[in-house]
Amino acid sequence: MLDIKNLSVSYGKHAALREVDLTVDRGEIVVMLGANGAGKSSLLKACAGLITPHDGTHIDLSGNELTALSAHKIVETGLALVPEGRGIFGELTVRENLALGAFAKRARAAEKQNLDRVIDLFPKLAERLDQAARTMSGGEQQMVAIGRALMSNPDILLLDEPSLGLSPIMTGELFKALAAIRKTGVGVLLVEQNAHQSLAISDRGYLIENGAITGQDTAKALQSDPAVQKAFLGLGAA
Amino acid sequence: MFSYALFSGITLGGMYALVAMGLTLQYGVSRIMNLAYGELVIVASFVAFVFMTSVGINPLVGLLIIIPASFVLNWVIYRILLTPLVARAKNRGMLEVDSILATFGLLFIVQGVLLVWFGGNYYSYDFLNNAVDIFGATIAANRLVALGFAVVIGLGFYLILTRTRMGTALRAVAVDPTSARLVAIDVNFASCFAFALGGAMAAVGGVLVSMFLTFSTSMGVVFTMKALIVVIMGGVGNMLGALIAGLILGVAESLVATYIDPGLTIAVTYVIFLLVLLIKPSGLFGRATS
Repeated sequence: MLDIKNLSVSYGKHAALREVDLTVDRGEIVVMLGANGAGKSSLLKACAGLITPHDGTHIDLSGNELTALSAHKIVETGLALVPEGRGIFGELTVRENLALGAFAKRARAAEKQNLDRVIDLFPKLAERLDQAARTMSGGEQQMVAIGRALMSNPDILLLDEPSLGLSPIMTGELFKALAAIRKTGVGVLLVEQNAHQSLAISDRGYLIENGAITGQDTAKALQSDPAVQKAFLGLGAA
Repeated sequence: MFSYALFSGITLGGMYALVAMGLTLQYGVSRIMNLAYGELVIVASFVAFVFMTSVGINPLVGLLIIIPASFVLNWVIYRILLTPLVARAKNRGMLEVDSILATFGLLFIVQGVLLVWFGGNYYSYDFLNNAVDIFGATIAANRLVALGFAVVIGLGFYLILTRTRMGTALRAVAVDPTSARLVAIDVNFASCFAFALGGAMAAVGGVLVSMFLTFSTSMGVVFTMKALIVVIMGGVGNMLGALIAGLILGVAESLVATYIDPGLTIAVTYVIFLLVLLIKPSGLFGRATS
């Protein structure tokens, strides 16, 4: 389980996150809703080791203190991030991208099974394996990015606005895939602006505003909460 | 005469391509613009010379020692000289500028040490200097052997980069270092490894070249320049481009030296380089950066 306690992050004088607590269990989808600049990406980056949080922050994943580890070591503890903008290796082929996902030592033994799993999840990738990743459509690139993250055999998968720039149909397909990923026991932390569709597949949700958690509940309760619409529309946020 | 010129051009071009491959690896993956690169080529030439003339080890056997030794030497250079620069650089652009200055200094240190030991004279040694007939041209066997080794080692290098897990990881770092960290690649280690591997390529080039060319302590900068030209002309980071560009330069130089005037080889290098940049600024096989 991913257990975030007292997470604070600043860029210079600007506080991006203030004392955030958040948990994600295996086999659940947790969505974090908030406006642009609310600190959602910072939270994911801090978990993945791409930015350094303040002292006093604790991020625990199955007994590992992630704040003490560098990004490449964090992957070995079972956390995978699909970053904003996907971060795939555009010059490399789809096959190479997926193979690199299994670069982590924890993933090598199960590389073959995981590749089959990814192809099952995104059958479109099967015919594109030897194509340079940058030549594919946005939706397909997002599949590569998620597939690459799954290749590392994660316990917890973090996704930063995966639906950004995708068509509604593509977004629907993507969220269906996330639901399938949850069934395999992976815990998913999803950062989204698309509240409607993401709440529909999530188990729980957090609301984040100006770097602080302002609410949390089951996805069902959040869906029927009038304040959610308000928070999601970003009123009161920068 | 034409087939002789063509063949020695291909040999020379093969050397350029081989040496450029190492530079493109150091620049592409580690983001180190290594101005001392050619000095390390020449160091290997002198080591091969000493092995041959004083120790009695021929240069091909010497490669077995020189390749791992140069790998280790470049590893140490990266750890001591360049790691502090990597640590303080805020971005890749800053690292490039810092590394240019640092390796510019390294250039003079290496050249100074070589000058103290070997002076300013030209050196060469006899190894496989018997003539071989090939396609009607009479060629020294050492050129033939050097070309053969360049092809085998260059191909091996290419296969390592494209077919192995570590090689693919190195290319991933070249494409996107941040994403590389997200797939468990230790980018600092990969940069150091790429720098050391590139340095080993430089050493291979130095040893092979010393088998058939005369060399001096001040020639390193020529190799750095040629390697840079080949890298830029072929398209930064493109191995096939480096090969083609290297061969074009080698053959052009050889033809000009044979038919017009040996003094014009450097001039023709730059004319071709400028023409390519005018017509295709990103290099023969380079893609325009978006």
